[in-house]
Amino acid sequence: MPTEDVIIIGGGHNGLVAAAVLAKTGLRPLVLERAEKVGGCAVTSELAPGFRCPTLAHRAALDPSIVRALDLERHGLQIIRPAAIVCAPTAGDRALTLWMDTERTTREIEPFSRADARRYPEFLASLTAVSSVLRSAFSFQPPSLDRPRLGHIVNLLKLGRRFRGLPAPDAHRLLRWLSMSVGDLVHEWFESEPLVATIAAGGLLGQHLGPRSPGSAAAFLWLGAGEDRPVVPGWSAVGGIGVVSDALGAAATQAGARIRLCAEVRSIVVENDTATGVVLSTGEQITAQRIVSNLDPRRTLLGLVGPGHLPAHVSENLRHIRMRGTLAKINYAVSSLPAFRGLAARDPAQQEAALSGCVRLCHGIDALERAFDAAKYGRSSDEPWIELNIPSLLDRSLAPHGHHVVSAYVQFAPYVLRGSTWDTERDRFGDAATRTIEQFAPGFARSIVARQIITPLDLERDHGLTEGQIFQGELALDQLFLARPLLGWAQYGTPIRSLYLCGVGTHPGAGLDGRSGWLAAQSIAP
Amino acid sequence: MRYHAIVIGGGHNGLTAAAYLARAGRKVLVLERRDILGGAAVTEEVIPGFRFSVCSYVVSLLRPEIIRELDLTRHGLQILPLDGTFTPMPDGNYLWRVDDHAVTHREIARHSRRDADAYAGYGQAMVEMARFVRPLLDMTPPEPTARNPRDLLKLGGLIKRFRDLSPANRRNQLQLMTMSAADFLDQWFETDVLKATMSASGIIGTFLGVRSPGTAYVLLHHYMGELDGVFRSWGLPVGGTGAVSNAIAAAARKAGVEIRTGASVAGIRTRHQRALGVTLDNGADIDADIVLSSVDPRRTFLGFLGPADLPVEFVDDVKRYRFRGSSAKVNLALDGLPEFASFPKGTTHLRGAISISPTVDYMERAYDDAKYGAFSRRPYIDMVIPTLLDPTMAPPGKHIVSCFVQYAPYFLANGSWDDQREAFGDTVVDTLAEYAPGIRNLILHRQVVTPLDLERDFGLTEGNIFQGELSLDQLFFMRPVPGWAQYTTPIRGLWMCGSATHPGGGIMGAPGRNAARRILGIRH
Repeated sequence: MPTEDVIIIGGGHNGLVAAAVLAKTGLRPLVLERAEKVGGCAVTSELAPGFRCPTLAHRAALDPSIVRALDLERHGLQIIRPAAIVCAPTAGDRALTLWMDTERTTREIEPFSRADARRYPEFLASLTAVSSVLRSAFSFQPPSLDRPRLGHIVNLLKLGRRFRGLPAPDAHRLLRWLSMSVGDLVHEWFESEPLVATIAAGGLLGQHLGPRSPGSAAAFLWLGAGEDRPVVPGWSAVGGIGVVSDALGAAATQAGARIRLCAEVRSIVVENDTATGVVLSTGEQITAQRIVSNLDPRRTLLGLVGPGHLPAHVSENLRHIRMRGTLAKINYAVSSLPAFRGLAARDPAQQEAALSGCVRLCHGIDALERAFDAAKYGRSSDEPWIELNIPSLLDRSLAPHGHHVVSAYVQFAPYVLRGSTWDTERDRFGDAATRTIEQFAPGFARSIVARQIITPLDLERDHGLTEGQIFQGELALDQLFLARPLLGWAQYGTPIRSLYLCGVGTHPGAGLDGRSGWLAAQSIAP
Repeated sequence: MRYHAIVIGGGHNGLTAAAYLARAGRKVLVLERRDILGGAAVTEEVIPGFRFSVCSYVVSLLRPEIIRELDLTRHGLQILPLDGTFTPMPDGNYLWRVDDHAVTHREIARHSRRDADAYAGYGQAMVEMARFVRPLLDMTPPEPTARNPRDLLKLGGLIKRFRDLSPANRRNQLQLMTMSAADFLDQWFETDVLKATMSASGIIGTFLGVRSPGTAYVLLHHYMGELDGVFRSWGLPVGGTGAVSNAIAAAARKAGVEIRTGASVAGIRTRHQRALGVTLDNGADIDADIVLSSVDPRRTFLGFLGPADLPVEFVDDVKRYRFRGSSAKVNLALDGLPEFASFPKGTTHLRGAISISPTVDYMERAYDDAKYGAFSRRPYIDMVIPTLLDPTMAPPGKHIVSCFVQYAPYFLANGSWDDQREAFGDTVVDTLAEYAPGIRNLILHRQVVTPLDLERDFGLTEGNIFQGELSLDQLFFMRPVPGWAQYTTPIRGLWMCGSATHPGGGIMGAPGRNAARRILGIRH
C-alpha cells in the first residue's frame, strides 16, 4: 500500500495550486520542494541587508478565478495594480507611459503621434476582444485528437462559438496575428517608434525570437490573454511577489496538503510503466498512488524517469522541445530612485506614478532586433533589452528609506554561449545591462549598493529551469495548446501511468497564472 | 465585339485562367502590358545569341492537371529534369545530392553517416506531408468565419484529414506549418552544410531568415512540385521559362482566346460596385461581363480602382498586404563553364542547382544585412547553368548562368537600387569567385535584375516574386486578404487570378486554374 495518495514534485506556484485543488477534493497531497521555501519562480529574497527583491519573476498574473477559489486574499495576498501599465523613457528627454486609464494614455501618446493616439483605443478594444477568445481556451484541458471526450467536444464548440462571436475584422485579426511577427502586428497600428517597440517587446519575453520573427505575435497574445490587460499583463503584491507563493502555500496547507522543504527528488520509481513513488536525494523512498510533477517535461521524463522507461519517439520528441533560455535576471539594490532623463521634466510624484508599473528600455524595433541577433550566434547582447520593475515604489518596506530595489529582465542572454561560459560571462553581461540602464537614467551605476546576476545557467542550476527557459518550453505555435508539451500528450498525463505534469510546460503555459496547476489537478482529481 | 471576360496580365496565371474560360466556351481577351507574354515566366534574348529566363528560371510546381488538361506537351512544353544540388564549401569540401539515392547516401556520409541514414526518411516524411497539402492547392479556400454549410464542411474536412494522419505525421505537419526551416532540420540532421543548403528553399521570396519561424512552410511549398509524378523534382523548360508561358498561350489561342500585347490597362471601369470593363492607357474602353486581374491586389485595387470604389476596411487590408521583395536575379553570359575549386572534375555536378549556402550562420547573416536595409554582403545564391541541358540557349561553346540571389531588399536604407545595381552585381560575382575563382574571366555579359527592376519591368510590386510574401498570415484563407480568399472581390464581376491568390507563387498555374473553375461554377 503506497504511503501517499499523491506526491507533487516541486512547490512552484503551479505545484501549490495543484496541491490546494487536490486537497480540496479530499486527497492529502505531499509537496516536495527542493529549496528552503516554496515558490519556485515567484519568490522574494533578501538581496542585501534591508533590501528585499523578487528573485526571478517580478510580475504575476494569477487567474482571478484561482485567486477567488483558493481565497488567496484571506491567506495574505494583496494585489497591487499600479495606475501605470508601462513606462518607456527614451534616451532623450521624453517618456511615454501607458496607463490603465485609456484616455490618459491617449493624451500621453499625442505628442509622439496624433494618429497613434487616435488608434490606441481601437487597438486596445480589438486586442482585448481577441485575447478574450484565447483566454477561453485557457480554461479547459486541450482535447485529445484520438479519444476526445464529450467534455472536450463541448469545450471546443464553446471556443468556436466565442470565435464566431467576434466581429469579422477581429476574427480575421486573430487568425492573422497568431502567425505574424509582433513587430509587423504593432506596426500595422502605430508609427511612433517608442510606442511600437514598447508594445512589441512583450512578444519577446523569455522567447528565442526577435520582433521581426513570425510567431512573436503569438507569444505576445498568449502572454497577454490571461486577464484584461493584454498590452502588458500582470500585477505586483504587497510584500513582493513571493507573497503569491506564501498565500498559495497557506491555502494548500489549510486545505490539507503537506509541504516538505529541502526535499529534492532524485528519481521517479517506475514499475510496469506505472509511477509508484519517488526517491529523494538522501536516498529516502516514498511511495505514492499518483505523482504530479511541477518540473518541466524534459526534466521530469528524461531526468527523473529516464528514457529507458519511455517509447523511443517520445524521448526523441521531448529532446526536441525547444526551450532555449534567453533571459537573465539582474536585481539591483540602489541608494536612490533611478532618475530617468525622459522623466526629468516631471515632478517626483509624477515620476513615481509613471514608474509604478513596468519600465521598458529600448531604442526601437531595430535595437530589439539587434539584441536578438547576438543570441542567434551564441553571444549575449552588448546592448540588451531591459524590462525593469521597482517593487519598492509600491511597497516601501522592501528597501530602507529613500533606497530602492530594481528588478530587471535582461535579454538576450542565450543559454548556449559559443566559445565562452556563463560563469565567465556573468559580470560582463551584468555590466552591459548596467550600462544600458545608465544611458536612460544617468547616475544609475553610481547608485548601486548591491547587484545579483542570475544567468540562464543559474536559472537551470539553482532554479531547475532547463536551459534557463522561464516557460519550461518556448511559446511557439507548435508547442502550444494541443501540442503542449507534446502533440498527443496535452491532457497532463504522460506515457507513464499515474505520472502527471502540472508545470508551465503544459497548457496554457502563459506565465505566472496558475492555470496549468489548476487544469492538471482537474484531470487528476478522482 | 463583346467579350465575356477580360484578363489583365498575360503571365502564366492570366493565360491559364483565360485558357480554361475559353475552353468552356467563353469569349476571352487577354491584355498584356509588355510586348512579350509570360510575365515573370519569360525568355528574352538579352544579348544576341544568349537567351535568358530573365526572372523565374526553373519549374517544378506547375500543376500536372494543367499540363494534362491544356495539353501543354502538344503545345510545345518540354521539361528537362534538373538533377541534384551541388553546394561548394569555402574549405574546399562540398556537398552533393542527386536523385540517385545511393550516390546521395555516399556523398552525405562523407559528412555524417547518421545524416546519410536519416536523409531517406526525411524525404519520405516530406513526400507524405506534400501529399497532405497537395489537395489544398486545387481548392478554393473555405472562409473560417462563414456560416454557410459548404465552407463549414470544408473546414471540418480539413480537420478530419489532419486527424486521420499518423501521430508522427501530425507532428511533422504542425511543425512544418509553424517552425523555422533551420529548427525543423535541426531535428533531423547534424551536418551544418546540409541543413544550410536544405533550409535555403525555406526562404525563397520571403523576407525571413532560415531561423525565422514560418520558413519551414516554404520548405514544404518547394517540396510540392512534381514532374511526371515525382515529388521534389525540378526541371528546366526547353527554351526557358518563357516556353511555359508560350505553351499556355498556344493552348489559350487554340481555345479561342484573343491575346493583345502592348496593351497596358489604365483602369477598371465600374458602376455601382460592378465591373464594366477596362480602360487602356491609350484611352480606349473595352467592355466585358467580367474582369479577371492576374496582377497583385495593390495594383488592382489601389491602381486600377480608387479607394472610393471600395469598402474602407478592404482598402486597409489591401494596404496591409505585405510584399517586401528580397530577391534579385543576376544572369551571366559565359565564355565557358566555370570550374569549382572543390570539385574540378567533370560537369555532372553542374547539371543541377549550384547552391551557395555553406553554413546556417552564413544564411542567417545574409538575412541580417537585409533586415537593416542593405543587400547581403555574402548572399545566398542558387545558380543554374541551363545550357548544359539545353544548348540552344547560347551560341555553341558558350553558356548562360542564372543566379537567383537573396537577400536584395527592395527597401534600401541608403541609396537606390539604380545606384547600387553594379555594386550588387559585383558582390554576386565576388561571392561566386570565392568558390569558382576563374568565373570572372569567363563573363561576357552580366544582367542584374534588381527588385526595383522586377517592379518596374515586370509589374511585381516591391519586387516580390510571389506577388506577396508566402507567410502563414498571407496564405490559404488569408490570401490575399482575409474574407476575400475565394478569388472574388468587393466589386461584382471582378475576380483575382494571380499569384497573390491561393495557393500562391511559383510557376504553378493553380491560382489561374482555380479562379477560372470558380467562375465557371465548378465546385472544388
